[in-house]
Amino acid sequence: MSETVRDGAPPPPRGRLRTVAARFARHRPAMAGLAALAALVLFAFAGPLLWTWDHTVSGEIPSSAPPGPEHPLGTTSAGNDVLGQLMRGMQQTLKVAFTVTVLATVVGSVWGAVAGYFRGWVDAVLMRAVDVLLIVPLLVVVAAVGGNVRGGTTWYGVALVIAAFAWTPISRVVRGVVLSLREQEFVEAARAAGASHARIVFRHLLPNAAGPIIVAATLLIAVAILVEAAMSFLGFGIQAPDVSLGLMVQHAKTAAFTRPWLFYPPGLAIVLIALVINFIGDGLRDALDPRQAMVRS
Amino acid sequence: MLVFVIRRLLVTVPVLLAASMFSFALIDVTGDPLADLLVQQPPPSQEVIQAERERLYLDRPAYERYWLWLTGIGGNGDIGLLQGEFGPSVQGPAFDVGAEVAARMGVTLRLVAAAVLLALGLAVATGVVSAMRQYSVVDHTLTFIGFLALAMPTFWLGALIKEAGVWANGQLGTTVFSTIGASAADTRGMDLWERIADAGGHLVLPTVALMLTGYAAWSRYQRTAMLEVLNSDYVRLAHAKGLRRRTVMRRHALRTALIPLTSVAAVTIAEILAGTVLIETVFQWRGMGTLLVEAVRTSDAYVLMGWLMLAGTLVVLANLAADLLYGVLDPRIRYE
Amino acid sequence: MANVRNRSRLTGPAAVAAALALAAAGCTGGGGGGGTGAGGVWEECESDPNTCNSGERADGGEITWVVSDFPGAWTTVSPEGGSVYTLQMLSGIVPSTGQWAPDGETYEFNMDLLAEEPELVSEDPFTFSFTFADGAEWDDGTPIGADDAIATVKMSTSDEEGWCEGCRSRQPGIYDDVDEMEASEDGKTVTFTLKDGRANPEWRGFLDAHQIAGGILPAHLAEEQGYDLDEPADVGAYFEWLNETVPEYSGGPYTIVEGDLETQVIMEPNENWYGEVQPTLDTVIVQFNDNENSWVPALTNGEIDGGNPAKINDDVIEQLRGMPEVSVDVGPGASWEHIDLNTENEWLQDVELRRAVFTAIDAQEIVERSYGTAYPEVQRKTNHTFAADSPHHEDLFGDSPQGTGDAEEAARILEEAGYEIVDGTLERDGEQVGPFRLRATADQVRQDSLQIIQSHLEEIGVATEIEAINDLGGVLGDQDYDIVQFGWSTSPWFLINPGQQWHSGSGSNFGGLDVPEVDEALDRMGTATTLEEAAEYANDAGRLVVDQAYVLPLADEPRYSFVTDGFTNIRDNRQHSLRATYNIGEWGTVAN
Repeated sequence: MSETVRDGAPPPPRGRLRTVAARFARHRPAMAGLAALAALVLFAFAGPLLWTWDHTVSGEIPSSAPPGPEHPLGTTSAGNDVLGQLMRGMQQTLKVAFTVTVLATVVGSVWGAVAGYFRGWVDAVLMRAVDVLLIVPLLVVVAAVGGNVRGGTTWYGVALVIAAFAWTPISRVVRGVVLSLREQEFVEAARAAGASHARIVFRHLLPNAAGPIIVAATLLIAVAILVEAAMSFLGFGIQAPDVSLGLMVQHAKTAAFTRPWLFYPPGLAIVLIALVINFIGDGLRDALDPRQAMVRS
Repeated sequence: MLVFVIRRLLVTVPVLLAASMFSFALIDVTGDPLADLLVQQPPPSQEVIQAERERLYLDRPAYERYWLWLTGIGGNGDIGLLQGEFGPSVQGPAFDVGAEVAARMGVTLRLVAAAVLLALGLAVATGVVSAMRQYSVVDHTLTFIGFLALAMPTFWLGALIKEAGVWANGQLGTTVFSTIGASAADTRGMDLWERIADAGGHLVLPTVALMLTGYAAWSRYQRTAMLEVLNSDYVRLAHAKGLRRRTVMRRHALRTALIPLTSVAAVTIAEILAGTVLIETVFQWRGMGTLLVEAVRTSDAYVLMGWLMLAGTLVVLANLAADLLYGVLDPRIRYE
Repeated sequence: MANVRNRSRLTGPAAVAAALALAAAGCTGGGGGGGTGAGGVWEECESDPNTCNSGERADGGEITWVVSDFPGAWTTVSPEGGSVYTLQMLSGIVPSTGQWAPDGETYEFNMDLLAEEPELVSEDPFTFSFTFADGAEWDDGTPIGADDAIATVKMSTSDEEGWCEGCRSRQPGIYDDVDEMEASEDGKTVTFTLKDGRANPEWRGFLDAHQIAGGILPAHLAEEQGYDLDEPADVGAYFEWLNETVPEYSGGPYTIVEGDLETQVIMEPNENWYGEVQPTLDTVIVQFNDNENSWVPALTNGEIDGGNPAKINDDVIEQLRGMPEVSVDVGPGASWEHIDLNTENEWLQDVELRRAVFTAIDAQEIVERSYGTAYPEVQRKTNHTFAADSPHHEDLFGDSPQGTGDAEEAARILEEAGYEIVDGTLERDGEQVGPFRLRATADQVRQDSLQIIQSHLEEIGVATEIEAINDLGGVLGDQDYDIVQFGWSTSPWFLINPGQQWHSGSGSNFGGLDVPEVDEALDRMGTATTLEEAAEYANDAGRLVVDQAYVLPLADEPRYSFVTDGFTNIRDNRQHSLRATYNIGEWGTVAN
């Protein structure tokens, strides 16, 4: 007797997954977004291996040179190659964003699932804690903490700070889904079959809440990128000598008219990443929730 | 309904209290209010530093300071939230945190109110249009604009809108849109009408910039909600009954589709408050946003606490307002 | 469009379009290029710093002047008010006995306020006196005199001296040396006697614009407020009152009619101004704006008229230079960047290693990359205490290879001292030297500089790890660094600085230099009675510090100012905390 049958879980989700994938593949903007994101990630992580200059100052790089064959995106006053900086900056920003997303999604999902599954006082305590964190705007609390954390200015420091406060919306979403799922027959059946709480939460509830979680997580990537950029703009994010897209924008904020090669690349990179992620998120939502994609007759 | 409101408010008290404890601990661990003084050149003497430490109650342990901040018992009369005192600032004994926060709140609320109203109006309109013409060119364009606004860093958007304003002034040959401050430098001698015009001229650019941060998300939600309603059975039924399309839209579809937006809008108020931090920096307004940035930069612990408490209270109130609005929009919801 | 000169051609929709399509990539601004901007009113300032841009003034006019950060209080004596921003805000309000002119050599007494130049009464005990002019009075008609001077000094002392209880003076220094203060019978002359054995070669500046009060604070308002300035506790209370109250008093050409510490102060001419040159502007608005990004649009938009920011910005300067009716002036300012070594580090306590480290660093390359885009003429600083154009300046690094970036010479020094460079790593007795912690605040210019230093030191096999500083005071105080870059501020009054930086007993001799000869030279400075003598000792001490390879000066950090056409008598005074506002009473609109 197979495990799934014993627990009374719904039929394996493979068929559903395939439908979702097929639906996603038909969403043209989302597919284009996915391809673009892949290209951007490749540029950020593989680019530095191929390119001559890294993000640091070098004595061989001229000051404030406009784009040219040696330096396709020009150079800074101190002597950084902007292309090298852009690749490194994008890398750090993406690392922050993905780390935030993974951490926040894991914490938020488990937190929300536990609250929704147990209900009662567990739910009350956990969700009040979420309320406490949600009460203050994300950027504000992150700035207040990030601006002061000693040594918290490396990319993982920034990621930890953002993640520490960014998981709460996900926990709310997951709790809502779990509250309705727990009443369904397959959960009843699993409980009747003697499955442990942990098993029910991790094997039955969370996988079935995957749809909303994936959508929320995707959008969180974009949020994290923008929060990181805003932190840097206010002077509270990743600090020199390291570089992130936000920090590059901050450093070049006055250069729009004098040295556009400093001003536009990092800003456009932020817009581009956030944009493609939103399109991917949109496609995922449509694919996971066919009701919305239905074209009215 | 009154009972409901009171009960909801009572529930938020412990939440706010816990939030204050949490924030206090965080701020205490992460910043040293004396840091600025210590880097002054030439360096101040030990006595000066010690006096400052005592003035800011930094000579006491953190738990004692929290209690002091909350109750003001054992302080010098300048601290104690329950007594209406927010505590001393690193900006010297003359800096009254409460009065400062209140004054700046007024400035910021003007900006937030204008931006929220504009954003809601635009979001509902474009959301509805997008939903009714799903997958049309209009829908795709509006979607793209929405995503672009969502993807643009607020400060970048602000800077571009400012440039557009300066350009427009150049074309008009007169300064219609102002780029710094909430009002002209010298408003003495202006009559009421001129003052209003002046305030308006200063309000336009930052409002548009701030508006876009809320608008982007809200129009997406409105589109989703509208789609859901349009595909629902009762709207189909209404159509089948032969009701006029316009009536169906206004009386049934739109009303129901606004419900999710109210809850989302309430939550996003917090994000808009965060947006003011950036927009006020770009446009040099002296509101809550710039107050926060200064406070973080100088590790001004009690100012930060006052800020967070006020923002928290606002968010709580916004959520409450959203709950009450549900009742108006959805007759099925009753408050016991 | 090689250079964006007329800025308005690339704004508005074009900017939006550019953001979306990178269309502006072809429109490049030239990086640097000098010049004083298209307005050109400051073209003479290089050769004629004290009188450039002077001329006839028309009656009337209004100016909005940007100060690049927020003042912290309404006096500059308190720690929170102790910034150049507060000083600049109060320029034109607080009267002072004198100040240095823009050339940094000419000292000008305020002969509107003084009846005669101050007088040195006796060298032992050190006694000097100031006599105030008969006509000098506050805006309410109360004469300015000895009582005001005495109150100012009392409020500038520390509690231990017994003059004041609770005055939070940020820098009691020279005022704590006062033993006795005496007012003449007519109240017009004040005589200060210093404590036994103390002297002050800068006594002429005792009440001038460069001191912590920025001049003389009023005493007569104390009585109105119910304070008795003979009571120490009342002096303390009065200190706080002045510090937190928008000044309604004025002893200068302007008076504040409205203002706060967050946006601006609005000033109008002081009806009762006793000076020879009357102000002509109807309104002066000093506006606080810390977002350098907003200045150019605001200037284009006519919302501001000029300013003297505390930090340079390559792009803002470049844009200002491109604006048709704006003048820009860039030059060395009153703070200097330097690299310090921690003499108590296990390795760096060896003076030979320190010399080699400084020799390997190319100071000129660092300053060019730090400031060269905005200020191509920048030169490395060769004297810790004196700027290059000071009459006391002496090239202390003339005979020393330090700061030249000569890696071969550095390697030779190391070899002679018993070090070896093995496979690119510096070793002594087979042990690796370092790695050293190379630190600075997270300021971009400094972090870039650290990267350059890092590459220079690599050449002599010294490995470094760059660490950003979040709490400069703490890091310096705890000696939590091996190599550090930070800035000191200076003033043409130079006496106080060398002692603080190098004396073994000083709290701000952070790297722990402890050399008896240096201490001796510094002590001699403290008892010198003339400036020339003191300057000589300062240079003696400086030479010893170079020999010790303790501090490597990089450059006087450049500063800039800008103003739109139509104003006259405005010029930057970069050695002075007041900057261009030093002669605010003479500002005016150009007479046709």
